[in-house]
Amino acid sequence: MRPHISVKDLSVQYGALTILNHISIDIPDKKITAIIGPSGCGKTTLLKSFNRLLDLQEGAKVSGQVLVDGEDIYDPGTEMTHLRRRMGLLSQKPTVLPMSIYENVVYGLRIHGEKNKSKLDQAVEKYLREANLWNEVKDRLHDSASRLSIGQQQRLCLARGLAVEPEIILGDEPTSALDPVSAEQIEQRFLALKNQYTIVLVTHILRQAKRLADYVIFLYLGNLIEHGPAEKVLSSPRFVKTQAYLEGRFIEEFPIAAELDLCGGAKQDFPFRFEESLRGLTEGQIFKTLVDNEGLLRQILDLEQGQGHKVLEVRQISSTQWEIIIEKRGIGYSI
Amino acid sequence: MAELTLRLWKDQVSHRLMILMGLMVLFLGFFIGGGLLARALPVLQHHHWDQLLFSSQWHPTQGQFGLGAFIAGTLWVTFVAILIAVPLSVLTAMFLSEYCPSPVRLWLKPGIELLAGISPVVYGVWGMLVIVPLVRDYLMPFFSEHFPFFPFVSENYTGFSALTAGIVLAVMVSPLIISLLEEIMHSVSFGMREVALALGATKWQMVKTVVLRKVSPGMVAAIILGFSRAMGETMAVLMVAGCAMGIFPHSLFDTAYPLPALIANTYGEMMSVPLYDAAILLAALVLFILTVAFNMIAWGILLYLENREA
Ligand SMILES: Nc1ncnc2c1ncn2[C@@H]1O[C@H](COP(=O)(O)OP(=O)(O)O)[C@@H](O)[C@H]1O
Ligand SMILES: [Mg+2]
Repeated sequence: MRPHISVKDLSVQYGALTILNHISIDIPDKKITAIIGPSGCGKTTLLKSFNRLLDLQEGAKVSGQVLVDGEDIYDPGTEMTHLRRRMGLLSQKPTVLPMSIYENVVYGLRIHGEKNKSKLDQAVEKYLREANLWNEVKDRLHDSASRLSIGQQQRLCLARGLAVEPEIILGDEPTSALDPVSAEQIEQRFLALKNQYTIVLVTHILRQAKRLADYVIFLYLGNLIEHGPAEKVLSSPRFVKTQAYLEGRFIEEFPIAAELDLCGGAKQDFPFRFEESLRGLTEGQIFKTLVDNEGLLRQILDLEQGQGHKVLEVRQISSTQWEIIIEKRGIGYSI
Repeated sequence: MAELTLRLWKDQVSHRLMILMGLMVLFLGFFIGGGLLARALPVLQHHHWDQLLFSSQWHPTQGQFGLGAFIAGTLWVTFVAILIAVPLSVLTAMFLSEYCPSPVRLWLKPGIELLAGISPVVYGVWGMLVIVPLVRDYLMPFFSEHFPFFPFVSENYTGFSALTAGIVLAVMVSPLIISLLEEIMHSVSFGMREVALALGATKWQMVKTVVLRKVSPGMVAAIILGFSRAMGETMAVLMVAGCAMGIFPHSLFDTAYPLPALIANTYGEMMSVPLYDAAILLAALVLFILTVAFNMIAWGILLYLENREA
């Protein structure tokens, strides 16, 4: 299926600090994609790179590409206002604008030039209903939005985001400030909306990811560790770090016993050189391989089936280079 | 136990002390107003109040004490100053807070705060040396040629005028207003700006609909503060406004003689003239009432804006 958002070799830096490290990933169309990972690992940063809100961060340096419907949004010609209206954003802390409930919902429409009163009225009802807030506020649309409860405010933010008719909804831990009932309401909304919108949801609540997500991305310290269909990643993750995170264990870096640089060189030499370097290691020792083409990468990943070696982590380190961390296992060793 | 008693005692004392101080400040206002009224009473008893307030006949030796021209001068100069200072301050603050790169902001802000601390006399001298010739040689000829109607027609060719005073006052109070406005604009949360931009607002739309709206109560407060100062300002105005007696200003280019200048100019040299000192104190009382009224109106606007949106 065609991806809606396609991230290609995206890196983000603040000064000397690397926040996102060569991330490449496709976000499927009309599905809920959950970005999970411990806090500070770059989830928000990744999310905000999708609508270029990252540009507002002073000192953020972005490289790589983000394609939305095949168009590179980091192209200098990108019209930011149009790009951003294609994505509704729900932030961690519900943020209502200092105006009435009504004005909050139509804010985006007014910004984009809609003046027709009856159209605005219709939009208010339609999107407040879609956010499941209409019945609670229909008699006080012109009250200040800041008087709503925090859970109602978040649903108002949802309505406000939907009103500009986006294709994508970005949620940055949208339920983390809410009580359980309000959180449940927001979750229900997401499930109801997922047939019409591509939803990207940052969450650090694993159960929430299980309940909602079709697709899961696991980030750790700015690296993309694992991604795939939710049931696969959440119940039988392929990589050790993902397993550790899901089980609530401490995530350890691997002790590297040897390194093997397979960059350059003839492709047909590869199996030989690979076996050669493994010979010196004992079972259970970990080594790192550097490759510079995707064919080779795939070949090595297939080793897991073929020779029983365990691939612990694959990490892209530049636009054409990957680092593969492998644990040596005996032939026929069953996992 | 003893320590707890002491703490409770301190709590009580500080509480009472604060109430007392608050009341004192409040009463101070009443005392000043009451004192001025008591001293102005003789002239109020001898002359009808509407003559005192609205007549422009000011001839103390002949027993004529019309404050009308001075009151009009005060309002006129303050009005001109507001007209110049508000857009100047709002736009500058907006630039500083929203548009200028932060290293530039870091340098500009202290510079502007420094301007706020310069003595009024210095502004007065600057007004005489720079603004008076500017008005006399450029603004006045230009406007009287191209806009020969109210409020630009005048027979005063000296350059000492209400406009001159307004410009000097505006430049004088702007730094204070700018630095306050910049502070409150900058305090609008990043999240709120982000919301607007995420919905596809341009930067200007975001500033206009979120920042300006959010700070509008604070903006009113900052402007009041600036103008309470402008209305009472004496020295700078006295030096550049022309201060000709008994003339209702009809033009930007007419001279004006605001109340504070009148008080400063005449207090101390009117001892032998009957009712003179009472009339001057009446002038002070009027200034006091104008300032209070100005603040009350602005306060009302502030409350309204704050209630409109929390
Ligand atoms: N404006 C900024 N300047 C410098 N570092 C930042 C900035 N914003 C975020 N970071 C850093 O980037 C890292 C990732 O942040 P974030 O994407 O918010 O993580 P998450 O959402 O996963 O908790 C954090 O270590 C954070 O300290
Ligand atoms: Mg975050």
